[in-house]
Amino acid sequence: MLAWFDANTATILNGLALGAVLFLIAVGLSLVFGTMDVLNLAHGAVSLMGAYVGVAMYGAAPTTGMFFLAMVIAAVIGFAAGGILAGMVSPVRNHLRQALLTLGMALIVAELLQEVFGPEVRSVPVPGFLSSTINLMGNPYPVYRLAMVAAGVVVAIALYIILERTRAGAIVRATVADRAMVEAIGIRTKVVLALVFGGGAALAAVGGLLAAPILGAQPGLDDQILLLALVIVVIGGLGSLRGALLGALVVGQVQTIGVSVVNEFASFLLFAALAAVLLFRPQGLLPARKGAHV
Amino acid sequence: MSETFSRGGRTARRTTAVLAGSLTLMMLTACGGGSLGNAEGDDGASGSADTVTVGLAVPQSGVYAGLGEDMTQGFELYLEQAGNKLSGHEIEVVSADTGEGPQTAIPAVSRLIKQDKADVVAGIVSSATALGIKDTFIQAEVPLIIANAGANDITAEPSPYIWRTSYTNGEVSGAIGKHVAEEVGDGSVYLIAADYAAGQEHVNGFKEQFEAAGGKIAGETFTPFGTTSDWQPYLSKIRSSGASAVFAFYAGSEAANFVQQYSTFGLAKEAQLYGNGFIVEGDVLQAQGKAALGIQTSLNYSPMIDTEINNKFVEAYMEAYDEVPTVYAMQAYDAAAAIEAALESADSTDGPGIAAALSEVGEFENSPRGPWSFNENHDPEQSYYLREVQEVDGKLANVVLNEIQD
Repeated sequence: MLAWFDANTATILNGLALGAVLFLIAVGLSLVFGTMDVLNLAHGAVSLMGAYVGVAMYGAAPTTGMFFLAMVIAAVIGFAAGGILAGMVSPVRNHLRQALLTLGMALIVAELLQEVFGPEVRSVPVPGFLSSTINLMGNPYPVYRLAMVAAGVVVAIALYIILERTRAGAIVRATVADRAMVEAIGIRTKVVLALVFGGGAALAAVGGLLAAPILGAQPGLDDQILLLALVIVVIGGLGSLRGALLGALVVGQVQTIGVSVVNEFASFLLFAALAAVLLFRPQGLLPARKGAHV
Repeated sequence: MSETFSRGGRTARRTTAVLAGSLTLMMLTACGGGSLGNAEGDDGASGSADTVTVGLAVPQSGVYAGLGEDMTQGFELYLEQAGNKLSGHEIEVVSADTGEGPQTAIPAVSRLIKQDKADVVAGIVSSATALGIKDTFIQAEVPLIIANAGANDITAEPSPYIWRTSYTNGEVSGAIGKHVAEEVGDGSVYLIAADYAAGQEHVNGFKEQFEAAGGKIAGETFTPFGTTSDWQPYLSKIRSSGASAVFAFYAGSEAANFVQQYSTFGLAKEAQLYGNGFIVEGDVLQAQGKAALGIQTSLNYSPMIDTEINNKFVEAYMEAYDEVPTVYAMQAYDAAAAIEAALESADSTDGPGIAAALSEVGEFENSPRGPWSFNENHDPEQSYYLREVQEVDGKLANVVLNEIQD
């Protein structure tokens, strides 16, 4: 057993890194669904926008400053895109129509990105200060992936504190629980919901940017990301921060250690995990608790 | 809204249904995307006997759009150089977007055949597409000249209407087998490829030649096609297998990611990477950057082939499109050459006439890849080249090490 862990440390660590970045992307999808009851199928496209921010800004060897600037810009673009989407879907109540609307936007955005950046695959370099490797049990392991784990942890803690411990978080939770009452005490809930939507989209764009040195940036990646995010949301439970985190970690490990152990079934593992959750716990592993908690 | 967070089993199931419905919707729209918006040549067949209508069926959308663009450029360059006349016949080109697979390609080529009345069609990037549309051409008696798709099955039973200017998967990968066996000597080679028909054919083609030359295999892995983005688990397996070299088949974005991660995780220093040319072809190579240095591949072409014919082709191509020609551009260029040769001797310029003439075209001496001819399966009989990624004048290029001898 110990030998097995020895041999697979890199793989497990890698599952964590993948899970961390998937968490950044999926949490927005989950929270928007939980708070606004909107399934945003443009989420993958927003994430791809973040990846292309890296393509546009990084150049051959991005400096530390450029890396953080790109993150800020990706967040701003994502936030704006989320705000616009929130404005578009707010008059639409029907789930299927919302899905159609956001899917249409996703197709338009993907096509525009292809027009601007071309149909070919673009690679995104790792920023200089994270481009080294550390020695992990005698094998080199890239520092950038460790940084991704750190980013995921920071965002998860920050989101938890904001939603559970601040006034802003309380307003968001209250809006979910009883929108009319929140309106009655003088808060414009439309603005609250647009901010949540924007925040979720900003996280997706930053996640896309952080994942870009590993996943690259190309047309079609938006669908792959959206699919993974939907699977995470279903596995973890809709509308819950903890669920998105757990779902992302599960998917991260399934995609790495899972395919490493039972390679023959690599193509099916992700959906086998999804099917197992739907069969035995259709509400997801950690669905949103009753009442307005995340 | 108040029930949003108090979701019991029933609501969860409803939500799941919405999710499932949305996914289906995504797939449907993805499939339907292609066949709009390229209605050039709507007037259909022109009556004049001197005009030959050539259909160009290439992907203009989806993952293969970049390859489709290369093909269009190669094809159009040939026509331009020939003054838009092939063997004295005025050429009218009508194009159709084949999209990513047969679902989108079938309506596109049906339009070319029925509405545009194409006399001959060239193009086709993907093997799945080629297999899906092949019978349409045989039934309509319109020759199809495939300028890329390499599945062995496409030409396993030769039809007078199906021709190929590219390669078969087994051959292009088999070409490097003997070289790898000689290089690794007593060491062993790990095989890794995308898990779909072409990946299997490439690996089998390589294995056959490699083992015949006395090579030993350390292990093999097929990775899920189109959904793998992180190769680290596979790379760990390769490392623990103790292989001294790796043969890989990937193309497009998978090739870019695989090669980069192969280098990031330090394997590039431990095990030489071999493959067929697609792992480092075209835009992919620039995306890989220095991670690709030293990779050795086999292919029927490299823009670095130093012959007068190829140098002229590369120069003309770069002048017209400001980029180095890819193998896809060259194969489409040669498809146009094949059409010209067929028209030269054809009794009539309709489908059956061109098809009959194609079987008598003989050797193509003026191809950028070197001389080649159609064999009995209608595949090219051609030379393969051993190439290595090197830095030439500050840019990455596939330098030809030698022509591979059988």
